[in-house]
Amino acid sequence: MKRKSLLAAALCAATALSSPAFAETVLRLDEVAVGELDPAKASDYADSILMFNVYDTLVLPQQGGPGHVPHLASDWSVDGSTYTFNLRDDVTFQSGNPLRAEDVVYSLERSQALGSGLSYLLAGVSAEAVDEHIVVFSLEQPYAPFVASLVRLPIVDKALVEAKKGDDEWGEAFLSANGAGTGAYTVTSHNPQEETVMAKNDGYFLGVSDVAPDTVRLRYGLEAATVRTLIAQGEHDISSQWLPPEVMTALANDGAQLFSETGTGAFYLKMNTTKPPLDDVNCRLALAHAFDYQTAIQMVAITDDVSSGSAATGAIPVGMFGANGPDNVQAQNLEKAAEYLSACAYDPADMNIEVSWIAEVPLEERFALLFQSNLSQLGVQSEIKKLPWALFAEQVSKPENTPHVSQIFVNAVTGDPDTLLYGMYHSSTPGTWQSPEYLNDSQVDAFLDAGRSASTDEEREAAYSGLNARLMEIAPTIYGYDRQSVFAASNRVKAPALSDPSQAFGLDGMGFSFRLMEMVEE
Amino acid sequence: MIRAIRILAANPLSLVGVILVALVVFAAIFAPWIAPFPTHNGAVVDFAFANKPPSARNWMGTDLVGRDLFSRILYAYQISLVLGVVVLAIAAPVGTIFGLLAGYLGGWAEAILMRIVDVFLSIPPLVLAIAMMGVLEPTLTNAMLAVTVMWWPWYARLVYAIARSEREEGYVLAAEVIGAGTAHIAFREILPNCLPAIITKMTLDMGFVIIIASSLSFLGLGVQPPTPDLGSMVAEGARYLPDSWWLTVFPGLAILIAVFGFNLMGDGLREVLGVDE
Amino acid sequence: MSPVLRLLLRRLGISLIVLIGVSMLIFTIARVIPGDPARIALGPNATPEQVANLRAEMHLDEPLVLQYGHFLADVSRGDLGTSLYTNRPVTLDIAQFLPATLELVLIAGIIMVALGLPLGILAARYRGRWPDHLIRIFSLLTVSAPSFVWAVILMLLFAFYLPIFPIAGRISDIYDIDRHTGFLLIDTLLAGNIAAFGDAIRHLILPAVALALSGIGQAARLTRANMVETYDKPYIEMAQAYGFFPSRIARIYAFKPSLIPSLTIIGLDFAAMLGNAFLVEAVFAWPGLSRYGVAVILRKDLNAIMGTVLIIALTFLIVNVIVDLLIAFLNPRIRHSTRAT
Repeated sequence: MKRKSLLAAALCAATALSSPAFAETVLRLDEVAVGELDPAKASDYADSILMFNVYDTLVLPQQGGPGHVPHLASDWSVDGSTYTFNLRDDVTFQSGNPLRAEDVVYSLERSQALGSGLSYLLAGVSAEAVDEHIVVFSLEQPYAPFVASLVRLPIVDKALVEAKKGDDEWGEAFLSANGAGTGAYTVTSHNPQEETVMAKNDGYFLGVSDVAPDTVRLRYGLEAATVRTLIAQGEHDISSQWLPPEVMTALANDGAQLFSETGTGAFYLKMNTTKPPLDDVNCRLALAHAFDYQTAIQMVAITDDVSSGSAATGAIPVGMFGANGPDNVQAQNLEKAAEYLSACAYDPADMNIEVSWIAEVPLEERFALLFQSNLSQLGVQSEIKKLPWALFAEQVSKPENTPHVSQIFVNAVTGDPDTLLYGMYHSSTPGTWQSPEYLNDSQVDAFLDAGRSASTDEEREAAYSGLNARLMEIAPTIYGYDRQSVFAASNRVKAPALSDPSQAFGLDGMGFSFRLMEMVEE
Repeated sequence: MIRAIRILAANPLSLVGVILVALVVFAAIFAPWIAPFPTHNGAVVDFAFANKPPSARNWMGTDLVGRDLFSRILYAYQISLVLGVVVLAIAAPVGTIFGLLAGYLGGWAEAILMRIVDVFLSIPPLVLAIAMMGVLEPTLTNAMLAVTVMWWPWYARLVYAIARSEREEGYVLAAEVIGAGTAHIAFREILPNCLPAIITKMTLDMGFVIIIASSLSFLGLGVQPPTPDLGSMVAEGARYLPDSWWLTVFPGLAILIAVFGFNLMGDGLREVLGVDE
Repeated sequence: MSPVLRLLLRRLGISLIVLIGVSMLIFTIARVIPGDPARIALGPNATPEQVANLRAEMHLDEPLVLQYGHFLADVSRGDLGTSLYTNRPVTLDIAQFLPATLELVLIAGIIMVALGLPLGILAARYRGRWPDHLIRIFSLLTVSAPSFVWAVILMLLFAFYLPIFPIAGRISDIYDIDRHTGFLLIDTLLAGNIAAFGDAIRHLILPAVALALSGIGQAARLTRANMVETYDKPYIEMAQAYGFFPSRIARIYAFKPSLIPSLTIIGLDFAAMLGNAFLVEAVFAWPGLSRYGVAVILRKDLNAIMGTVLIIALTFLIVNVIVDLLIAFLNPRIRHSTRAT
C-alpha cells in the first residue's frame, strides 16, 4: 500500500514537471479508411488529410474563389508548355533540411515511378532543377489543369529519404510510417488500425497560430454509433463525412455544429453502355428519367438547411466550367421515361437491370433500393448487388463483367473539371472505377480534348458547356445529385475553411488544414 | 414415445424449448400470411415511414427505408432455418461416414482420415468460415457451403469416438465371425448405436448453425441485402445506436429466442435419449 | 525419455503436420478466389503492364504446386508478403495487432474460468435445487446468442445508457504509453503508470465479458456434469460416510478430477473465442488481429488473409499443446504411463 502511494506521488511529480504552463489542446477526428502516410500513394480522404498537413505543395487553391496562389513557390511563369517555378528560400523540412529544387524533381519522379495514388494526374510531365531554387516543368502536351494538379504533388525531403531508405529504392517502408515533409504538423505515431497522432511543427515556414491544436489524433474505422457517443460525451471533435445522415441529424439536435466542404463532386449511377439493353440510348434515357432525384436528396438531408446533396443541373456539378443554371434541375418524369422505354429496341419484359452498390458505403444500398422501386414503377425488373470496393474495381476492368448500373461518389481531386470528367468519359480511359460506362463517343472526346488544351477560361467554359449538352443527350450516366461533404463537430473547434464560404478551398480535404483551425474553451 | 412425453412434461424447460421452436418454425413457414407487410422482405421503400420507433402500425418499428421490421424478422427466420437444415443435412452424414470408417477400420485409414479432420478442427471454426467467405462470393449457397465445411469434422469426431469404443464390443466381433462385410458392420451394426448422439447433436447444432450464419452476415460475409437476415440487420442497426435502438435489439432478440428454443429442446432430448454431454 | 516429454514431442509433431495441412487448405482457398489477385492488389488505376509484371512477381503464371512451393519458402523465411490494406509487410501488421487480440482473449479466458468453474461447482453441490436450475438457465441462455449480440447489448446498457465503461478502444488518449510488448496491461505496469493500467482494464471489461459469456455457461455446465459424475464415485461416498465437511469434499475430492475434462473444453472454448473475437473487436473498435482479419477479407487482401489465418491456427495449436501438457501433469495415469495416447 505504502509503495503504491509513493509511486502515485512520484507520478504526480513527473506530470507536474512535464506539463506546460497552459493546457495543451487536442483535436480528435476520425476517418473510415486507413490513412496512407506515403504521399505518393495518397488517394482517398484520410490520405489527403494526412498529406495536406504533413506535406506542402508548390501552390494552394485560392480561398473563397477560383485559381491558385503560390505556397512553397514564391511565383511562377508559363511559356507554352513550360512552367518555371521559383521556390521560397526560407522553407525547411521537418528534419531541418532546406527545401531545394531537387526535392521537387525527386517528388515528381518518385510519384511517377511508384505509379499509384494520384500519380496519373502528372503522367506526361517532367521536371528539371535548373538552380537550387528554380524548377522547370515540361509538358508533353498542353494540359490546362496542370497548375491545379500541383496541389496533388506533395514535396518530399529527398535527403532524408535517401538517408533512411536502405535497400528500398523509393523508401516506401520509411515513408509509410514516417513523415518527410515541410508541413505544419509532424507525425508522432502511426498505427493504421488505430490512429495517427500529429504534433504542431513549431518551425513551420508560415508559422502556426497558438490557437491551432497542439496535438491532432486522426482515428480510423470507428463505428458510427461510437463517434456519435464520443462527440456527445465531449471525447471527439469532428466526425467523418461518412456518418449516416440520421446520426448527423441526431448530433445536430444535440447541439453539435455541422461543417461542410462544398464540392466539386457528385453522386452518379453509371450505366454500362456496352451491355444490352443499356447500349440503346433510349433505354438509358428511360432509366435517367425514372430515377427519383428529389427523394434521393431528401435522403441525405441532415437539417432543414444542411444537406450533403443539392440538385444536379446536368452532367457537370454546379460551380465548375460548363455547369448549367438552376433552371435545369434534374427531376423524375415517369411519363417521359415510359416514352423512351417504348422507343427502346429491347422488350422491357425481358430486362433485368443489375444495380450494384459499394459495400463500404452503406448509404448506397438505400439508393439502390430507391432506384429499384423507381424501375418497378416503370415495369422494369432489377436486381441489387453488393460489391466490396476491391472486387468492384476488378470487375469493371472488363465490360462484360461490369454491372448494368454502378453507383459511385466521385470528387475532382484537383477541383478541375478535366480531372473529374476526362477519366470518366474519354474513350481512351475505359473500364476504370470512374468509367464503368465504357463510353465511346467522338463528340465527347473532342470536347474533352478541347477543354484540356484550351488556354483561356472562356475557351474552357465553351468546351465544357458543349460537353455537358452532349452528355445529357446520350445519357451514359444518371447524374444523381451534386455532393458536398458534411461533418458533425463538437463546439470545441472552429474551422473557418469548413464553415465560411469565403475561406473555403474548393478542394477535397484541404479544409482540414489543422493550422487554420482554432481550439476554443467550451 | 410415451416416455418422451412424460420426461418433457416433468421438465418444463424442455417444454418451453419445444414451444419456442414450434413458434419459430410456424413464423417462418407462414411468414407471407402472418407478416403485416408481406412485401417488405424485398426491395420496397416507403420513406414516409423510414426509421420509426415501434408503434401500433409497426410493432418493432421500421428500418431506414421504411420497411416493417417485424415482417422482415419473420422472413429472416425462413433463411436461418433453411440454412440450418441444409447445413446439417449435409454435414451430419458426411461427418458420420468419415467417423464410422476411421473408427471401425483403424490403422492407416484411421490415421489419414483423422489427420484430415484435425486440420479442419485446428482452425477456429468461425475463422475457417470467415476465410472461405472472404474469397467466395457472398451468397446464401456459399454461406451454406462455408458453414458445412467447418461443421462436418465435429460429427466425424463424435462418431469416431463412439465407433472406436464399439469396435471391440461383442456384437461387432460376433458379426465379424459370421462374415459380415465392412459396410454392413459399420452402417447396420455400429451406426444405430451412434444415432442418439447424432440426433441430439443435430438439435443442439441447429441453434449453433443459426449463430454462425448470423455471425457471417454480421461481418457482411453472408446472405446479402435486400434479403432479410438477422445478422446483417444487427450489423446495420448497430450503426444507429443508441437513437434507433429497435433496429438492433429486435433482430438480436430474435436470434436469442430461436437458438434458446433449440438449446432447451436439445437439452431435453439428451435426457430422453440418454446421451452424455 | 520421460512420458511427458514424449507426449510433448508427439503433440508438436502432429501440430506441425496439421499446420502444413492448414497452409495447404488456406492456399487452396486463396487461389480459387474469383478475379485476378494481381489486378486486385494494384488497385483501380493500374495499367495492364503493371498487372502483368506483378503477376510474374507473384508467380501467378506458374503451376499451382510451384506456387505453393514459393509460398512455403516465403513463409519459412518469415515473409508473408505485403498487405494491400495497410501497404505494409503482413508480418509487421501481425506483430502490431496480435497482442491486442491475445490480451482480449486471455482476459476473456480468465473471466470464463474464474466464473464458469465456481458456478459449475455450485450447481453440482446444490444438484436439483434452485441454484442448479438458475445456473442451467443462465448457461443455456448465454450460449444462445452470438457474441456480437451480447457485445451490442452490453455496450447499449453499460456504455450508452449507463456510461460506466468506455465505448471503444484500448486506452484513453490522455495516457501516452510506450508499447514495448503490445500488451497494454504489461506496458502500463512497465511504465509504472497505475492510473493507465486501471484505464486499460476498464476498456477491457466489456469486450472481454461479451467474449467470455457463452464460455462461462459452457464451462459451468461441464464442470457440473463432471462433478456430478465424480460425486457418485465410491471414494466420495466413503468420504461422505467418514463425515467430512461438504465444502472439503467438493474442493479436494470432487473438484480436482473434474478439472481434467474442464481443461479440455477450455482449450476448445479458446478456439471459439479466437473466432468470436472477429465479432467483438468489430463492435468495440478493438485494434486487434481479428478486426484486421475482417478488413483484409473484405478487401480480398490475399497475403494478409493467409497470414492472419495461419497465425490464428498456430496460436490455437500452441494453446492445445499447453492444455494437453497441463492435463498430463494433472493426470497421474498419463504422467507415469509409458505409453501415452
